[in-house]
Amino acid sequence: MDSTRRTLLKTIGGAGTALAAQPYLTFPAIAQNRPLRIGIIAPKSGIVGTIGECGLRGTQFAVDRINAAGGIAGRKVELIVEEETNPKDSLERLRKLVLQDKVDCVQGVVSSGVSLAMGPVAEEMKALLIFWDGTTQDGVKETMANPRYVFRSTDNECEAVMASLLAIKYWKGKFATIAGINPDYSYGRNNFAAFQALLKKFNVEFKVVADQWPKVGTLDLTSHVAALKAAKPDLVFSSLLFADLPVFMKTAHGAGLMDGGTKFAFPAAGFQHTLLKKEFTPEGMVFGHNTLYFDLANATPLQKQFVQEYETKYKDYPHWEADRAYFAMQVYRAGVEAAYKAKNAWPSTEDVINAMEGVKVESLGGPGQMRKDHIAEQTFYQGLTTHKNRYDFATLGQVDTMYSDQLQKPAGADFWKWIETAQIKL
Amino acid sequence: MTAFFDILIGGVFHAAVLFLVAAGLQLVFGVQKIVNLACGSFYALGAYFGITCVNWAIAGHSPQWLFLPVLIAAGIALGVIGPFIEALLRTIYDRDESFQLLLTFALVLIFQDVLRFFWGANPQQLGNLSMSYGKIEIGALSVPTYNALVIAASVMIATGIGAFLQRTRYGRILRATAENREMSEALGVNVRWVYACVFTLGTVLGTVGGALVVPTAAASLDMPVELVVEAFAVVVIGGLGSMRGALAGALIVGLMRAAAIVFYAELEILAIYLVVIVVLIARPAGLFGKAVE
Repeated sequence: MDSTRRTLLKTIGGAGTALAAQPYLTFPAIAQNRPLRIGIIAPKSGIVGTIGECGLRGTQFAVDRINAAGGIAGRKVELIVEEETNPKDSLERLRKLVLQDKVDCVQGVVSSGVSLAMGPVAEEMKALLIFWDGTTQDGVKETMANPRYVFRSTDNECEAVMASLLAIKYWKGKFATIAGINPDYSYGRNNFAAFQALLKKFNVEFKVVADQWPKVGTLDLTSHVAALKAAKPDLVFSSLLFADLPVFMKTAHGAGLMDGGTKFAFPAAGFQHTLLKKEFTPEGMVFGHNTLYFDLANATPLQKQFVQEYETKYKDYPHWEADRAYFAMQVYRAGVEAAYKAKNAWPSTEDVINAMEGVKVESLGGPGQMRKDHIAEQTFYQGLTTHKNRYDFATLGQVDTMYSDQLQKPAGADFWKWIETAQIKL
Repeated sequence: MTAFFDILIGGVFHAAVLFLVAAGLQLVFGVQKIVNLACGSFYALGAYFGITCVNWAIAGHSPQWLFLPVLIAAGIALGVIGPFIEALLRTIYDRDESFQLLLTFALVLIFQDVLRFFWGANPQQLGNLSMSYGKIEIGALSVPTYNALVIAASVMIATGIGAFLQRTRYGRILRATAENREMSEALGVNVRWVYACVFTLGTVLGTVGGALVVPTAAASLDMPVELVVEAFAVVVIGGLGSMRGALAGALIVGLMRAAAIVFYAELEILAIYLVVIVVLIARPAGLFGKAVE
């Protein structure tokens, strides 16, 4: 009798929680046999440690909200976090999560080097894997044309395409010589090449007077800055995005690179936004916050709540990796719940995957969706920097918003041909 | 002219920091015959501890001009770890060289976790501290004052070490111990004490180097490995165990890197190792090293 009463009370309690959990759907207790296990693989140390940390906080925020609302299709979410390091060790952790921990889904990964190696293995293991930021591109060429189990973020080049478009929009006719300082791997090289391709597309005559390729993590950039200064460019384009970016800005400021009216376009600067202090970050530079701009005036209540909680809890302001992580979790939640609703029973991984294809979700930074080819579409924010704010770092004065269908190639297309032929609006 | 000056300063600044670490490596090898892979860890430790000390100074409302002395003091204070590590290394002095490499590499890994434990996994920076020192401007030429001070400090340390080794009694004892440990010991030199002092001095050179560079850069867990590779290139070029070699090697590496960045950036890393290969073929003992008979 006691047992029955306890069960009844639990059911009532569960129902109450579910009712309170707007806008989430409610599900019968039949599915709540064990928590959903989600494995997270993210870097927690080294030069990309801050990126992974912010992503983990975005995931935790998503999971706290989901669990407070009764879980995914009635099942609470339990996270198992593993560290992303080199491809070999990260693959071992993927296998451990899938085979030993028997997770229902794996999310995370920042490094494209890791995601490129991990994608085919996940396919082979039939493990549902949603990347936060890693791509499955070799350069700009998609290596997994028709993945079944792997879902990935927007193309890395979206950031560069948007920054290039803004540079053309704001400065066409005001620069003739350009220089690049970009990280020496495919991301940096593709971004600088995309910038030049877009300049050609929009009939901007230009000359490359310097191109620097420091390897990721180079923390003495004195000579690179001297080389840029010697080349006297009208515009500097840089995809530096880790701890080397603030070092570059400080060094450039100290060397006087910012004194002569040089223009700057930094598509990925948002990863380091709080470290880019006003003293050495000029106003009026194109600055990419990409899928989450924390200080957006007309942000959704969801973003405002997240930023406020983040500031209170961590004494910091989030960047777009939090959004990517939140988006990944929401895509999975939406897929499971849609599949559950369609089947009226707990869905298989295959059912969840089918439901995730084309699913639309509200992420921290705005609306997004998962394309049928398993590539994300999201809302991007970039703009021109200002010092007129309450922070000690630069924020955006002029904010430009674009949806990624204007920034990334459609399914199956070649990136360079897409740039040549696409109807891209400035 | 301005461009040439900027590039030259960039190369010399890199060389100045590299020299400090390589000098520590040379000193320890020259006297103790230990190839200390952990020299990069001392450099990183100096960088992290320097940030902490400056933050303490900022919290104590110290004037900004005091930050450079605070950084140097932070580096020197870390010398306290030198005797303890030397005591650990003492266990392998008479063993095969592979034990040295294994033990000092173990120290690299241990220090990486020590840094992670105390300062966390994320890179640390010192805001705009280096900029607060302003710029030195002579006509059209300008150089950040902080960079000039680091170069000056490195030159002073190089001169001081040179004078210490060549012109003081203790310097002669060090050189004698480096030449023949057993003979020095037989003549009454306390070799154990000499080794502890030398290792501590080598440690301090690394920690001061790290502390000095951090306002213009950042402290990260990857920096020990990054630097130690370049430091060994300096040592190979200059000659293992030679202080003059450390100076020449650091200048060659710093200037080669700067020149490569300007003229053909793709060669930034390759250029250094091309010099290393040429030196190894033409003069295997290095520019100032002694050939092993």
